[in-house]
Amino acid sequence: MRSNTVGWLLLAPTLVILGLFGIMPFIYVLYVAFHQWNPFGFSPDMIYNGAKNFRRLVFDREFLLSLWVTLKFAFFAVTSEIALGYLLAQLFTREFPGKAFFRTIHTLPLIVAPIVVGSVWRLMTTPSIGIIPYYLDAWFGYELNIGRDAGAAFALTVIMDIWHWTPLVTLTLLAALVSLPKEPFEQAQIDGASKFQIFWHITLPMIRPAILATVFIRLMDALRTVDEVWMLTGGGPGAATRYVGLHIWKVVFPKTDYGYGSAISVIVLYLTLVMCWILYVALVAPRDRKKRTS
Amino acid sequence: MRRAVAVSLAALAAGLMGSMAPARADFWSDAGAKFQGVTLHGVTESTPPSNYIKDVLAPEFEKKTGIKVEIETTSWDQMYDKAIKDMEAKTGIYDMVYIEQDIIYAYLSRNFLVDVTKTLKDDPSLKAPDFDESHFTTFANYFKDDNGNLFGVPMEAFIKIYLYRTDLFNDPAVKEAFKTETGKDLAPAKTHEDYTQIAEFFTKWGKDKGEQLWGTTAQAHTGHPASWYEFFESVAPTFGVYNWGIDTSKNYAASVANGGSMNSDKSKAALKYWLHLRDIAPPESAASTWTEVATTFAAGRAAQGLVYGENAAWIASDSEKSKVVGKVGVALPPVEPGVMEEVEAGKGYIGYYDGGAFGLPVTSKNKEAALLFLQYIGQDSVQSGWAVAAPRITNTATYEDPGVKDMDAKLGGYYTMLKDDGKLFAGAPPYPFHAQVREATASIFYRILTGEVGPDEGLDQMAAAAEEELTNLGYRK
Repeated sequence: MRSNTVGWLLLAPTLVILGLFGIMPFIYVLYVAFHQWNPFGFSPDMIYNGAKNFRRLVFDREFLLSLWVTLKFAFFAVTSEIALGYLLAQLFTREFPGKAFFRTIHTLPLIVAPIVVGSVWRLMTTPSIGIIPYYLDAWFGYELNIGRDAGAAFALTVIMDIWHWTPLVTLTLLAALVSLPKEPFEQAQIDGASKFQIFWHITLPMIRPAILATVFIRLMDALRTVDEVWMLTGGGPGAATRYVGLHIWKVVFPKTDYGYGSAISVIVLYLTLVMCWILYVALVAPRDRKKRTS
Repeated sequence: MRRAVAVSLAALAAGLMGSMAPARADFWSDAGAKFQGVTLHGVTESTPPSNYIKDVLAPEFEKKTGIKVEIETTSWDQMYDKAIKDMEAKTGIYDMVYIEQDIIYAYLSRNFLVDVTKTLKDDPSLKAPDFDESHFTTFANYFKDDNGNLFGVPMEAFIKIYLYRTDLFNDPAVKEAFKTETGKDLAPAKTHEDYTQIAEFFTKWGKDKGEQLWGTTAQAHTGHPASWYEFFESVAPTFGVYNWGIDTSKNYAASVANGGSMNSDKSKAALKYWLHLRDIAPPESAASTWTEVATTFAAGRAAQGLVYGENAAWIASDSEKSKVVGKVGVALPPVEPGVMEEVEAGKGYIGYYDGGAFGLPVTSKNKEAALLFLQYIGQDSVQSGWAVAAPRITNTATYEDPGVKDMDAKLGGYYTMLKDDGKLFAGAPPYPFHAQVREATASIFYRILTGEVGPDEGLDQMAAAAEEELTNLGYRK
């Protein structure tokens, strides 16, 4: 009993901070989501309108489109980051000339602010000025124009995100790999297991928690990406890269439609939680069921 | 003895009269005395005029008053975001905020700003002797309420003008080729037809000669409001579509069916005209805001274009940033027949009168000190130096300054045009719902730019979206 009391006392500061800066704002956003509120409207007051905002977004073409492109973005970006990150992590577990230098260079994107990343990539991709369009045209005869080509703009935002965040995945998985015990691998090699078998049956299961955590982190970040995309494409061309985070920003700040913007935020949070739960079930539940069966 | 007494009395009287007169030369030090140690914070867009405030005027003010001024310069979007968040949340971080002309109505509707006129009237001790509201150009009217009170001290003003390359337009070979192709003499366009012909000619000329030259700029970013603004504030008016095609006197109608003109035949013609120009503009145009339009022109990549005055000035005069210094001419934007007559009759405008002012948030914790600074940047004596260093004019007397006249010559007569023809231009309509309606229609506009929606259909959708938004906001009943 005394131990419980001490425990709660020790947790109290964290809980207070979580409550003040996490739960309370969420409750407020939830409250606003059930109101019509635009400070620049004829009447700047908050007006309760029930679930109207939530009904509205179900039929909101712009929101649904932004949701769709966001899911595509998250899928391609996160999947690529996990794959590349794992390969690079494996590479860094081995010794090779210049490893320290390469690892340092590789992690540099992590320390760059998202808005700066967007600025740099914008500079590199501007038609007739940027280095990327220049060499694509010179080497492959391809005229890159992210202001006109929706596919190119989308691809570039994915590539930019991969460039920016793959190092995080690499570092996380590298930490997981170097912490693995050697005995299972040695035993597997002795037993004649192939490299793929070792990867699938030993490495992957053992680093599953790290992968899962990384996927969750990257997925949540991808679903709310704003800064670098806004700087690179502004959400264009058209709405091709108007990801849901950027859509919320446009609704809440330039348009100052706080009620509707809050509703979108709540729904996006809900969808994020659902997606994480689905991932959890897909990646963790099978093992749990297998354990229970055995 | 009597004479001596008389002289003494006269001297005494003179001394008394002298001591009663205000010590004008010491106003700034006297006024600043009670604010020693105060630091004012301002946020503004990173432009030459703002940088002049930061680098020149603020240090001068501090030296004279003892009041430190820290000016934060940033992008347009960030500036607006920071300012409105600060005022809305009442955090009181900023003592001065840049007010773009187009956002003033939103700020006034929410009582964000201090009434400069009233405050100075209520407290004459704060009134600087060299500051006089009546000395501002008519641009100051954009920052006044219905009572004529000033809520922002004008600090920059520009008109979006038609720039053309004098080296190309005066080149004998070019002129001959143009004459041969079109049957016309090459000269700055006065009509849209002329402008289009010139643009098509130079795009072909550049292609045939293997030069990085196109016929026109286009502020056609497919995901940024800059493109929306270029169309509604610089192109549509030249076709006779004013105030974004919204008629507030007809229940805030935007569609033709309800009495507006956003989707009128004139508007549709204007959009098709502009889209064609976009298609023959440099490849970066689809990602260009006003900044990129300026850099494109400065790089010598376009023969003509509509360019904001704040950029036109450095394009014409700053050889460190522009490759076309000494090769730039200024002209009024081309218009459809009949539009100029409407404009001169006071029924419309031919382009955008851009600019901004420094306003004093009601949330400022240093209102009096900030008001001193606003007067400092608005006083007569600092204007001419400012106009030479960072081409902008907000004061009527500035035009006659010798330095300004010299600069005018370097700018191809831009200041003369601003003085004589500024009345033909107009700022954003007085809409407190400015950003809301823009955002409600912008996504459709971007889809028009990408070709996803045709211009006619798109404008119909935009008009409907505008009316829907105005209804949601409570303006349209």
